[in-house]
Amino acid sequence: MIFSGIETGSFYALAALGIIIIFRTSITTNFAQGVIGMFNAFMATEFYYRFGYSTVESIILAIVTSIIMGILIDILIIRHARKVNPVSKQIITLGLIMIIMGITPMIFGTTNRDLKRIIPSGQIDFGSLHISYNSILNIILVFIIMFVLFIVLQYTKWGLAVRVTASNEYTARLMGVPTKMVTMIIWALAASLSTLASIMLAPSNSVEVNMMGGVQVNALIACVLGGFQTFYGPVIAAYIIGISSNLIVFYISDTWGEPILYIFILIFILIKPNGLIGKKLVKKV
Amino acid sequence: MSKKAIVVNKELSNDIVLQVDNLSIAFGGLKAVDNLSFNIKKNEIFGLIGPNGAGKTTVFNCITQFYRPNNGEVYFRTKRDKVVNLVGRPVYRIIRLGLVRTFQNVELIRELSVLDNLLVGAHIKYKTGFISHMLKTKKARKEELDNRKKAIEVLKYLGIDHLKDFLAAGLSYGILKRVELGRALMSDPNLLILDEPAAGLNETETEQLAETIRKIRDDFNSSILLVEHDMRLVMNICDRICAISFGKLLAIGTPKEIQSNKNVQEAYLGKDD
Amino acid sequence: MAIISKKIIKDIFFKTSNILPKPYVNYLLFGIILVILPYIVNGSTLLTIGSVIVYAIAALGLNLLLGYSGLISLGTAGFMGLSSYFASYLTKDLNFPFFASLLISVFIPVILGLLVGLVSLRIEGYYLAIATLAVAEILRRIFEKFIAFTGGYVGKTADYPNILNVFMLDREGTYIILVIFLIVIMILTHNLIQSPTGRALLTMRGSDAAAQAMGIDILKYRLIAFALATLYASIAGVLYVHFNELTYPTIWNLGLSLNILAIIIIGGIRSISGTVLGAFVVYSFSDLILKEIPFIGEIPGLSNIIFGVLIIVIILFYPQGLIQIFKNILKSIFIRKDVKASE
Ligand SMILES: Nc1ncnc2c1ncn2[C@@H]1O[C@H](COP(=O)(O)OP(=O)(O)OP(=O)(O)O)[C@@H](O)[C@H]1O
Ligand SMILES: [Mg+2]
Repeated sequence: MIFSGIETGSFYALAALGIIIIFRTSITTNFAQGVIGMFNAFMATEFYYRFGYSTVESIILAIVTSIIMGILIDILIIRHARKVNPVSKQIITLGLIMIIMGITPMIFGTTNRDLKRIIPSGQIDFGSLHISYNSILNIILVFIIMFVLFIVLQYTKWGLAVRVTASNEYTARLMGVPTKMVTMIIWALAASLSTLASIMLAPSNSVEVNMMGGVQVNALIACVLGGFQTFYGPVIAAYIIGISSNLIVFYISDTWGEPILYIFILIFILIKPNGLIGKKLVKKV
Repeated sequence: MSKKAIVVNKELSNDIVLQVDNLSIAFGGLKAVDNLSFNIKKNEIFGLIGPNGAGKTTVFNCITQFYRPNNGEVYFRTKRDKVVNLVGRPVYRIIRLGLVRTFQNVELIRELSVLDNLLVGAHIKYKTGFISHMLKTKKARKEELDNRKKAIEVLKYLGIDHLKDFLAAGLSYGILKRVELGRALMSDPNLLILDEPAAGLNETETEQLAETIRKIRDDFNSSILLVEHDMRLVMNICDRICAISFGKLLAIGTPKEIQSNKNVQEAYLGKDD
Repeated sequence: MAIISKKIIKDIFFKTSNILPKPYVNYLLFGIILVILPYIVNGSTLLTIGSVIVYAIAALGLNLLLGYSGLISLGTAGFMGLSSYFASYLTKDLNFPFFASLLISVFIPVILGLLVGLVSLRIEGYYLAIATLAVAEILRRIFEKFIAFTGGYVGKTADYPNILNVFMLDREGTYIILVIFLIVIMILTHNLIQSPTGRALLTMRGSDAAAQAMGIDILKYRLIAFALATLYASIAGVLYVHFNELTYPTIWNLGLSLNILAIIIIGGIRSISGTVLGAFVVYSFSDLILKEIPFIGEIPGLSNIIFGVLIIVIILFYPQGLIQIFKNILKSIFIRKDVKASE
């Protein structure tokens, strides 16, 4: 039970990390994070069914298309929206949802599709507990990705560039940080994180237009719960949400599990408005 | 969560409007204001000076509660002649007590006309709520009319009534500074806090401003606390001056005393003023 | 005749004087045009224009929220849906009269909205978008799963309103009710944005610091704006169910909330006439125009793409929206005429 919670949590964590890095560098909450993943999950099925690539190859190709998509979004739209206020940037990402939701059925049709697991079968048994090899792979993969990203963010020159851009883009540019490059890479990275989440999620649901709706909402809530000020806060919160929603769904109610969880989080936010790891910032006037 | 506002019936001698006691605030490791104390008397024009980054704006922010000081108290004699501690009060309550400020980087609303920007300053004067506003009740209309008249008077007072229908977005910096001053006056303050009112003004405008500030003090019967880099202006209009550097007090005194103060001269060394 | 109508149009668009009855006259004129519109265009457009009106009402609320206080709600569809179910349940299952049901059906979403706002708006403005998104998600689940109340996927029905047992309205009659609601709401909104409350909202959007320094309680005014947005959405929801005689879960999805957002961005932010124009563009465009175009009209999702692109293009390059283009065109026509006339 906890184990599958960790797996769900890792999908949320991938999406939440994508949202938070974009928030920090482009000052907007990216509502299109989920649909970008959804679109590229469709791309993976396209590579698999139409072009006959293997599952792993299709996934890698879908990651590549997501990177291209992220770069395109940055170059075509976000780059021109620097002077636009944060609210309007949010609206831009909402416009992106409409576009991607509109394009998807146009290209891929309106029927749901399947995406295979990377490890098709096999499980470990602990008494009554069955954990599929694929779940273990997912969990470990996400852990590794998180670990590598945090190391990069914290200890490399490139990570420093990101953090500097995140704290103040204008000064960063003055200091010679290639902020354009940084935001572009961030959008590409965020798109690929979301794609990975949707691909991992796909085998247990199916690939369809609304597949990432829940992940998107939970990832945003993870950012709220974890606080928008750190990179790791939302990730931790995402795992907490994944695990506790699985527990509530299992022990209390199937349908009302998530609503109940949201209410708990609302109450928590009332008590601690800046989230788990939130620091209170003094706004300069 | 927030420190409870405490109304302390502190004995302030009758002629004191604002008393700042041991005020301190730090950002990370940086002590922006360090154990600063001073007071302002009724109908006084009081200057706060110091080099760039000395912490002047921060002092203003601590007084008006935009920043919560780490330490210290700010006692204020309200319009109703009651002494209250401002520390811990919500920012938006401060103006009701009779204390209003302007900002270093003009904070006007671009989409509103000059007149409407002034009316924003009269916000606390309105008694009607949003439902009366939607229904445009008689009382709401009358209130609006009265405040409009008053705003036009204030604009005339500041010599910019011909601009009343212009949007703030298109006006020059000097004019905007005056509009902001007008907005502050709309609330009938008994203490007016001005952050660099002369920034961006030319010489004649600055002279006009000096005149205006004095007139405001007399006509509105209020005290004025101002931060200003233009030393000529400060020395010209201030009754007393407080000089700070790195958040610490250097000296308080009359313009003459400040000019001849060793510490102050040192702090400004290398600056041509 | 032509001269008179031109003068009227001119009045509508250029006389924005503060003299009391003037704008009211314009709105009333517009209302009359709306009432006769379905008859002069084509009988079958009644449904479409009715929907335009319903969505315009919800959009007016969102415009107040977004345009004046700079906050986004993604819960518009959810609140609309909630009130539509209440209206259906109260009038159909409990036999409440129309107005009593309207009051209750609107009251409950507003209270819910206030609770959500109270929690999320204390922190940062952008939390509201997230909170409302989550609430909409929960509401959608309720619509689908709480079958005793909502009828599940099948949904619930309602009748054309029966007003005071005197007027048993038919579709045309209900349409007139929609127009009346729209016009009244336009007038009330007009009053509000020109009032101290409107200024307070704009100030808060322009500068937190200035607003607070001038005594504006930001939380209070954000809540007012959000409560009004919820109120308008709920009214729209009630009108929807009575006009369409049906409500079911798939209508009230995120897509609808985004369309309503599209209405105000495309039509014109902070503009009442812009909002109505936007509603016409967004809803009659896909219903009346796009479907008529052979071949292209059949492509699924095309209108979504068009509106998504329009949103982004307008935000980046033309933030005032279509109403501004519209006004400019009219201005250029009339000003040229005026010059000629005066010569
Ligand atoms: N919200 C804040 N967060 C972090 N540091 C701050 C904040 N506000 C002010 N500071 C710092 O406090 C110090 C004092 O700043 P302040 O703006 O008060 O100076 P000032 O005397 O008004 O300078 P100037 O004459 O340039 O306006 C500066 O080092 C500034 O960077
Ligand atoms: Mg300063």
